[in-house]
Amino acid sequence: MSLTSKLTSLLMQAALWLAAFISVFPFYWMIAGATNTANDITGGKFTLGSNLIPNITKFFELVDVPRIFFNSFFVAIAGTFFTLAISSLAGYGFEIFRSKTRDRVFGGLLLMLSVPFAAMMIPLFVMFSAAGIMNTYLAIILPGVASIFMIFYFRQNTKAFPSELRDAARMDGLKEWQIFIKIYIPVMRSTYAAAMIILFMTNWNAYLWPLIVLQTNEMKTIQLVVASLATAYTPDYGLIMVANVLATLPTILVFFLLQRRFVEGMLGGVK
Amino acid sequence: MRFNTPRLRNVAGMATGISLLALSSAWAADVTVWCWAPEFNGAAMNEAIARYTAAHPGDTITVVDFAKGDLETKLQTQLASGTTEGLPDIVLIEDYGAQKYLLSFPGAFEPLTDKIDYSQFADYKVSLATVDGQTYSLPFDSGVTGLFYRSDLLAEAGYDSAALQDITWEQMMEIGLAVKAKTGKPMFSMDQADAGTMRMMLQSAGSWYFNDDGSANIVGNPVFKASLETWVKMLQTPDLYKAVSGWGDYTGAFNNGDVAGVYTGVWMTGGIKGNNMSGKWGVAPLPKLSNVEGAGHASNLGGSSWYVLSSGPAKDTAIDFLKTIWAGDADFYQKILVGQGAFGAYLPAREGEAYSATDEYFGGEAVWANFSTWQAAIPGVNYGIFTNEVDAAIVAQIPALVAGGSIDEAIAAIDAQVAQQIQ
Repeated sequence: MSLTSKLTSLLMQAALWLAAFISVFPFYWMIAGATNTANDITGGKFTLGSNLIPNITKFFELVDVPRIFFNSFFVAIAGTFFTLAISSLAGYGFEIFRSKTRDRVFGGLLLMLSVPFAAMMIPLFVMFSAAGIMNTYLAIILPGVASIFMIFYFRQNTKAFPSELRDAARMDGLKEWQIFIKIYIPVMRSTYAAAMIILFMTNWNAYLWPLIVLQTNEMKTIQLVVASLATAYTPDYGLIMVANVLATLPTILVFFLLQRRFVEGMLGGVK
Repeated sequence: MRFNTPRLRNVAGMATGISLLALSSAWAADVTVWCWAPEFNGAAMNEAIARYTAAHPGDTITVVDFAKGDLETKLQTQLASGTTEGLPDIVLIEDYGAQKYLLSFPGAFEPLTDKIDYSQFADYKVSLATVDGQTYSLPFDSGVTGLFYRSDLLAEAGYDSAALQDITWEQMMEIGLAVKAKTGKPMFSMDQADAGTMRMMLQSAGSWYFNDDGSANIVGNPVFKASLETWVKMLQTPDLYKAVSGWGDYTGAFNNGDVAGVYTGVWMTGGIKGNNMSGKWGVAPLPKLSNVEGAGHASNLGGSSWYVLSSGPAKDTAIDFLKTIWAGDADFYQKILVGQGAFGAYLPAREGEAYSATDEYFGGEAVWANFSTWQAAIPGVNYGIFTNEVDAAIVAQIPALVAGGSIDEAIAAIDAQVAQQIQ
């Protein structure tokens, strides 16, 4: 190996280490914070402390943890499932079935992506209130199930779905819905996995809309609880960090479980 | 046709029973309260609820807590949508924002003028929630200000509590520099992006960013100019303070013993007492502006009050609850003062045991009694609708001012920015 290539590799290593440190440090700091008192944290202590148990105990005293996590998981899982079902079907349909108006409708959909949520919030609120479904899981999930971004994502990925497979399935006498369920979904599993991670994270971290439609303590998600703990004259940062660790764990778990498929899916692979 | 009389009587009896059941469930009200800070506001509210429901077992009152910004987003969305479903019966609003809600959503809040005896509350808390002669709030926690200082460090520099009575900000700066020279620790932690100092100074002289009619009171306001000059002079004296950024950094500095004191609202007491430094702290009156007419030592920072929404189905119970406990139970205020460090604006509470007790943490001073005295002297001002906007305009000028910029030009720039935003 020549000197220059050694130097290049060394520099690259250094840059990667720096990038890794910048990405991982907040996580470390969050975990260290969960074991410290508020004063240690504001005093700039970065090492692990001995206040973990009191912080956890206090969190469980203040918050109905099982109920809050059930809410968050239910909303994230059901939201992911229904969004995947509806958006993948729509994306598949947009790509496979040809019609004169198809691209115009699709263009219209993409245009709607540019409407900010803040502009739709009050009309949505009025609609949901009139429908009598305020303060329900349905109210949180419903506005997101036909996700334009996901429809677009599935349509793009469907372009890589081999038409031979579809033709063969038709020859074998499968109906259109059977082709979708028995052929398309298994073939596109990497695409689904990537979408699943994105959707799980979006639903798990959803904030503004749940805040608006949820009315009672029993329905709150973990994100709302974390935010509520953070407003005080003298915030208890140790407690907040415990809540943050617990709120972060599920997304980390889901990501690592589906990591391989996520990378495949983002690269647009069909296996 | 002949009725079977006994059976008919049974049916009638049942019907009466059912209607009685229906009636009693109509009496039993469900009151919802929105607030932020579950350990402070929420805990105080829960104590009040426990007291009220002990006497009214049929009623349930539930506290739902959100982050403060979230509560405001939710409240604004719902009030703007015109949908009353899901609105609470009682909501906590920060005092600086009260006028904004009362003026932006007329009719949304229930006037309590005829129901609550406001002479029992600190004047300044009543006036900030009054619009067109109607008062809407049940005043809750006070932000009466004080100068919290490390008595051990000040003693090292040769100052005792008597040396901190009736001083000006200039004298405060001299003391701070002496403390730094003797102990190596700066007097305060200060954040250039937090205009709290401005607000405390302005109100201590009975002035604010706005006139009573809501117009800006910036250019030509001598108190505004004096306050800005004083604050900038402090920021231009690096030995006086430790520069911090953000709330955690700011509170961390005095809670960890890096600086010798803090001037702030009474609600900081709980945080300061959580530090294992008993006997090493004291509380003095806020320093006053020099050469300003009407300047005093009493001011306010923060604080919030309860409001009743006029759309609430359980409105009457909500008002009765606030009236019975929050405007009638002095013992309740002793409990939340000890439990949460929540210092109420209910004046009769000061006669109670907890309010007159001395505190060893603060060297045996009767700190609460002092705060009560200062609270009664806070001048009432009109917080207006755009306090946050003016804060932002001031903070934007601070770096240039600290670098030696002209005060008059900065005031003109602040005024211009405010005029643009509030038109």
